[in-house]
Amino acid sequence: MGSATQAEVSGAGGAKGDSHIVVSGLTHVYRPRHGRQVTALDDINLTVGNHEFVALLGPSGCGKSTLLYLIGGFLPVEKGSISVLGEPVREPGPDRGIVFQHFALFPWKTVRANVMYGLERKGLPKREAEARAAEMIAQVGLKGFEDSYPSQLSGGMRQRAAIARTLVLDPSTLLMDEPFGALDAQTRNLMQIELLALWRRSPKAVVFVTHDVHEAVYLADRVFVMSARPGRIKAVVSTGIDRSDREFVKSRAFVEKVDEIWHLVHDQPQGPR
Amino acid sequence: MAIDGLERAGERTPALVAVLNGAGRILLDYGSLIALVIVWEACARLQIVSPYLLPSFTNVLARIWAEIGDGTLLVNLADTLRRALLGFAIAVVAGVALGMLLARSVTAEWLVGPLVSLGFPLPKITFLPIFILWFGVYDTSKVIMVVCDAIFPVITATIAGAQGVERQIIWSARNLGARERDLWSTIILPAAAPQILSGIEVALPIALIIAVVGEMMLGGSGLGGAMMQSWRFADSVGVFAGLLELSVVGFILIRLMAAVRRRLLRWHAEAQPDLV
Repeated sequence: MGSATQAEVSGAGGAKGDSHIVVSGLTHVYRPRHGRQVTALDDINLTVGNHEFVALLGPSGCGKSTLLYLIGGFLPVEKGSISVLGEPVREPGPDRGIVFQHFALFPWKTVRANVMYGLERKGLPKREAEARAAEMIAQVGLKGFEDSYPSQLSGGMRQRAAIARTLVLDPSTLLMDEPFGALDAQTRNLMQIELLALWRRSPKAVVFVTHDVHEAVYLADRVFVMSARPGRIKAVVSTGIDRSDREFVKSRAFVEKVDEIWHLVHDQPQGPR
Repeated sequence: MAIDGLERAGERTPALVAVLNGAGRILLDYGSLIALVIVWEACARLQIVSPYLLPSFTNVLARIWAEIGDGTLLVNLADTLRRALLGFAIAVVAGVALGMLLARSVTAEWLVGPLVSLGFPLPKITFLPIFILWFGVYDTSKVIMVVCDAIFPVITATIAGAQGVERQIIWSARNLGARERDLWSTIILPAAAPQILSGIEVALPIALIIAVVGEMMLGGSGLGGAMMQSWRFADSVGVFAGLLELSVVGFILIRLMAAVRRRLLRWHAEAQPDLV
């Protein structure tokens, strides 16, 4: 999976012809109204290839979510640059779908209405929007819950709805902010499997933020290991996992990769928490 | 099967049980009110208090019955409700619009914000003489009084609701292609609805109170006006009848409002305690 792109964009910097996301020299400073300013991100350079699945891995406070929000266009880029498919990022857009940890569904809308929201904004005829929403809802396994409100669903089902709402617009980039962090272990594993399946069916560039090493190795082609205060990328590791083997989690290569990355994450001076 | 049979055997009893349960519930829920009425009636019957100061509950009920019969209740009720509800409706529409504007625009906040902060704690009744001067003693003044008092809780609740919408909800909408103008109608208004409705629920009894106060001070018809009329004629039964009528009207209005809230917020977790 994606091994061809990996070879070409193995470095953190160099923009290649088929690079999907290019971040260069990105520095982001939080200036709270009260208190000291914090350098959340310091000189970040990375590229993500077309159809590549990358994970941003690091402890809380390393700025990985901030980086994701910047790529999403939710925060203004002040120093450095971000471009997606050659276009500089200026504002949020449906080409870069995002999934949040706490779902951020519209609680006053049913699952169907949530999924249809983006299609309506595009001005799609109601009939067509309904058909596409129904198909997407079925794909994420929520058939039969179209008329439920988010408050009537379990956490896993809410995240399925949120994923459907994003994927129905067929974004070329998928940004995921610890999307399974709020789920129980069993549901999380199931969602990981299904996410990989969805991604294979309709490949796109995925940036997946997590603090779970196992999850990062499980899902991603490459893992960007970040350190905190200031947020920096301290290592880029190609996982090189062959996921065609269904039992790959038990393979020696997988276990060793998890171990390698675990040491990278934890091998840093422990700052005050 | 066993349960089936049981249900069939008890086919008659459920209705009876339901009635008894219902009666029990009413006793339980409104026990204090029922006790109050009993004490009231006893005090009046036993002449502990003179009937002029405290007419008996049954006499008051009889008066209300008579007022229903000759149509005066309906006329007075219609007058009071017209003033209260018209003022309430204006307060809701204008209050939500103004609250949204204040939450959204720095300029509007600069222009109107201080006025809202200044006006909220001010006893609006002090404006009554001015309103009488400007608008006379008829409906206009009374409705404006209602609007002035009822609009503040709506404005403040709307501002709080609109400013409290989760950042990621708005981000999601923007991510899905919502423009700035879409945001207000499709996201911020519904997301703020629980808080806005709380403000509206506060505004409703205020509207009724101010409508009655206005009638009492400016005269004319309506339940408040009728109470003052009775008082002038030393008709204490009439005064207490008005009091009772008003409390029932207020109770019904608040119940209706709560039902509207449940309907509008049926998506909200508060409306579905047993799910998940």
